[in-house]
Amino acid sequence: MSKLAMWARLKSPWVLHFNSGACNGCDIEVIALLTPRYDVERFGIKLEGSPRHADVLLTTGAVTKQCAERLKRIYDQMPEPKFVVAIGACACSGGVFKGNYNVLDGVDNVIPVNAYIPGCPPKPEAIIDGVVKLLNSLKEAKPNGKQ
Amino acid sequence: MGKRVQIQQAHLGKASIQVKADATKDAVKALLEANKNAGIVALTGLDLDKKIGLMYHMCTNGVIVTIRTEVPKKKPKIATISDIIPGAQFHEREAADLFGVTFEGHPNPARLVLPDNWPENLYPLRKDAKIDEALAKNETAPSKAEPAPAQNEGDLVNIIIGPQHPALLEPEKFSLTVDGEIVKHVEPRIGYVHRGIEKAAEQRTYLQDVYLVERICGICNSCHAACFVETVEEILGFDVPLRAKYIRTIILELNRLHSHMLLLGHAGLEIGYETLFQYMWRDREPIMDLTEMLTGNRVISSAMTVGGVRRDLQEKDVPKIKTQMVTLKKKMDFYHKLFENEPSFKMRTKNVGVLSKEDALKLCVVGPVARGSGVAIDVRKDEPYEAYGEIPFNIITRDEGDSWARLMVRLDEVVESINIIDYALDHMPSGPFRIKVPRVVAAGEAVNHVEAPRGELFYYVKSQGTAYPERVKVRTPTFANIPAFITIAEGGNIADVPPSFVSLDPCFSCTDR
Amino acid sequence: MVIDLWFIFRVLVFPGFTFIFFFTMFCDWIERKIEARMQNRVGPAFTGPGGILQPFADVIKLLTKEDIVPAGAKRKVFKLAPILAFSFVVFAFSFLPIDGAAVIPNSSFAGDLIFVMALITIANFFLFLSGWASANPYGDIGATRVLTQFLGYDIPLILLALTPAFIAGSLSITVIAANQYLPFALLAPWAFVLFIVTLQAELEKDPFDIPHAESEVVGGLETEFGGGKLAFLRLTRDVQIVFGAALVVELFLGGPYGPVFFGLPEFWYFLWFVLKLLAVVVITEYVTCLFARLRIDQVLSANWKVLLPLSVLSLALTVAVATWIYPLMV
Repeated sequence: MSKLAMWARLKSPWVLHFNSGACNGCDIEVIALLTPRYDVERFGIKLEGSPRHADVLLTTGAVTKQCAERLKRIYDQMPEPKFVVAIGACACSGGVFKGNYNVLDGVDNVIPVNAYIPGCPPKPEAIIDGVVKLLNSLKEAKPNGKQ
Repeated sequence: MGKRVQIQQAHLGKASIQVKADATKDAVKALLEANKNAGIVALTGLDLDKKIGLMYHMCTNGVIVTIRTEVPKKKPKIATISDIIPGAQFHEREAADLFGVTFEGHPNPARLVLPDNWPENLYPLRKDAKIDEALAKNETAPSKAEPAPAQNEGDLVNIIIGPQHPALLEPEKFSLTVDGEIVKHVEPRIGYVHRGIEKAAEQRTYLQDVYLVERICGICNSCHAACFVETVEEILGFDVPLRAKYIRTIILELNRLHSHMLLLGHAGLEIGYETLFQYMWRDREPIMDLTEMLTGNRVISSAMTVGGVRRDLQEKDVPKIKTQMVTLKKKMDFYHKLFENEPSFKMRTKNVGVLSKEDALKLCVVGPVARGSGVAIDVRKDEPYEAYGEIPFNIITRDEGDSWARLMVRLDEVVESINIIDYALDHMPSGPFRIKVPRVVAAGEAVNHVEAPRGELFYYVKSQGTAYPERVKVRTPTFANIPAFITIAEGGNIADVPPSFVSLDPCFSCTDR
Repeated sequence: MVIDLWFIFRVLVFPGFTFIFFFTMFCDWIERKIEARMQNRVGPAFTGPGGILQPFADVIKLLTKEDIVPAGAKRKVFKLAPILAFSFVVFAFSFLPIDGAAVIPNSSFAGDLIFVMALITIANFFLFLSGWASANPYGDIGATRVLTQFLGYDIPLILLALTPAFIAGSLSITVIAANQYLPFALLAPWAFVLFIVTLQAELEKDPFDIPHAESEVVGGLETEFGGGKLAFLRLTRDVQIVFGAALVVELFLGGPYGPVFFGLPEFWYFLWFVLKLLAVVVITEYVTCLFARLRIDQVLSANWKVLLPLSVLSLALTVAVATWIYPLMV
């Protein structure tokens, strides 16, 4: 039964996109994934609107102080098993805004991150590569949280 | 006004006058009497040690006039001008947040860009603000709760859009008070994307700042870079070579193309027209390819530098650009017919989110928002920069003032941009594409504005004669358009709110910096 | 007690629950592929051959997720409403003749057309309850929109459904399906076209997509639901779409009846039913891709000002034509 569950999880990862203080560069590359040239629906990836519907949280942006609490709340609202992907240099470590007064350098200061995709912004191919690597890694390891 | 006003010589290359703090309002009134369509462009604060300088950059007939004044740091109070210029409300709130100036008589002096749990009396853009210590102390203090949304009074319900919402690419919060399906009041809360860029710019060299300001907004990144380097070049007194100007123009127009197409697709998404979104973004991909070919990166081009552009335009690339432009023009015909004829599209955008011409002028809105309401302003024509003075093109305006008009303006501007690129390629001058500039910039200050896809982008840079700028002030087009959000949503249907907001092409990372 | 295995087989396996479930998944895949191709994309491609197992993966994944009930929600309603909505729609399906006889043997009765429409309305009411019970403003708005739209469009839908009933002279679906020597779509094309448009609104598909308008109400009534409950809500919608198409087939396209070439007639009836149903599903999905989404007040005014008068006229026209013209034709 759990093999079936694992298969379903790998083949149907629904994503939620949250911008926690980004310049939009990464966000437009994430949205571009849905468009005909890249079309991630082939992998079963669907963009959902509510945190309760999503399995993977795609965050962009160096987390601003105002967004930090909201980011945490959105992460808490997602049902297990859930994964977080930090897209872009800012989400990984603060990027070019590291050290600024209103920025918490990077997403992993607020919520646990499963995959980091560097780039400023990373090309859509790089984002797809990162997501596929995350899915493949799930086959071996257990996701964070309860299993 | 007499002796309270001293006309000062043009430090800024554009007119400026110095007034005493209590005469500021009179000066603004005098300006409005001379030209009733004058508006505010930006309100720059400056830390002048014992005083805080305030510069009201006003725009009249396309020219920027600056009214400079000072208030003592111990008692930074000045009368508000938001009663005579409603568009100044948000500028004053920002100055209050970042410099601690109190604007007496302001209708809504709430926080604008700083977070809710920011410590009181900590003003980041003051030079003597001890930010790290104050924040460390604040970590242990209990966080101030966000002001609770107003209780539902009677039939009025409070609906919050954001910060996480499928309609918004970016986190911002709009509190709507609705009665049934009609919106009664809108309260925007921005600041979710405030990364403290203006402060960070003071701690980096001019060259590092080019890469910093580019990342204010990934969508209009080239415009930020271009405006910044032009301002610095003005302080330096250098003129870049003509070839550099033409290359910059091409990159700026490619930027405009991708931004407009991005928005038109996004508008489709908001009104439930997914097919339009997919088609438009599919047709946008070749533009990203061209940008990558010219500059090395799809999105953040990093093409501009102080003194010119970083890379030359290769001859072999020119035919590729030209073929793409031809294909794109044909596709724009298709979209034009679609916008004109598709009934469900028109039902969702015609007469939706109407902004009248009077309101547009009163609120000092810029860009396609203004042009969609019949106000013919465009920095490329009003004060030509780069190569725009030599290239013929049209300003697109529409009179309807509704969402449909704003979207059509952008669609037609795409065609104009294609023509500009074609012309620039045909008339590309030869010569150097870059000149060497000193690392240390002489003391001085300058203002500059460019026409970003969303409207007028304004920069003010002050140098103290070191390798680091003293002050960089950015006023982005969406910041100027915030009052428009409120005006077009109030009185309308709640279902119209997402399409109207999208037709304003908001970019909150620009707004918050 | 005698256990009627045939009965159990028909109800649970074929053409009962299992068949309905698998067929809904198949139609979901077809819809996603059509939408993708209309948008110049590929659609699900790697889950099973051509992505055909994608809907199964979605459902199984949802069933294995953590079960969350928000603090302010009305627990019992929150947990039961999605399952009840799903059950009612499946139950309504069982009255349709899929291979020549209704799913539950000997269950068709005079008037079961109205009964089936009532079942669907109750199912949508449970959808409304789901949204209402979720203690979320978006859930409330979405729920209200579902109710307003569904109840509003129910009226023209029933009026238009009466047209084939009138021509066949019966309110029983099996009788209507069996009496179509010429498909009613050809005998009363006005009713057929209007029925499809009304169905588009009942099924909440573009341009009548508002209850699911992500950009306005986030997840609509589904906002607070995750995991298994979300699976049931989505399945309800999917089965409803297939049910709507099946109703069109039964009422206007001659049901499962068609030429029988050799062997078992039930097999051929089943085949014709499936083919006709797929045709209707394709057409409705096609229309969905072509239009933008209308606002709720535009949808409601389209109902009261356009569809309702037209459906009354359609009924009047049908009565007139049936009384005076058909006898001339026979």
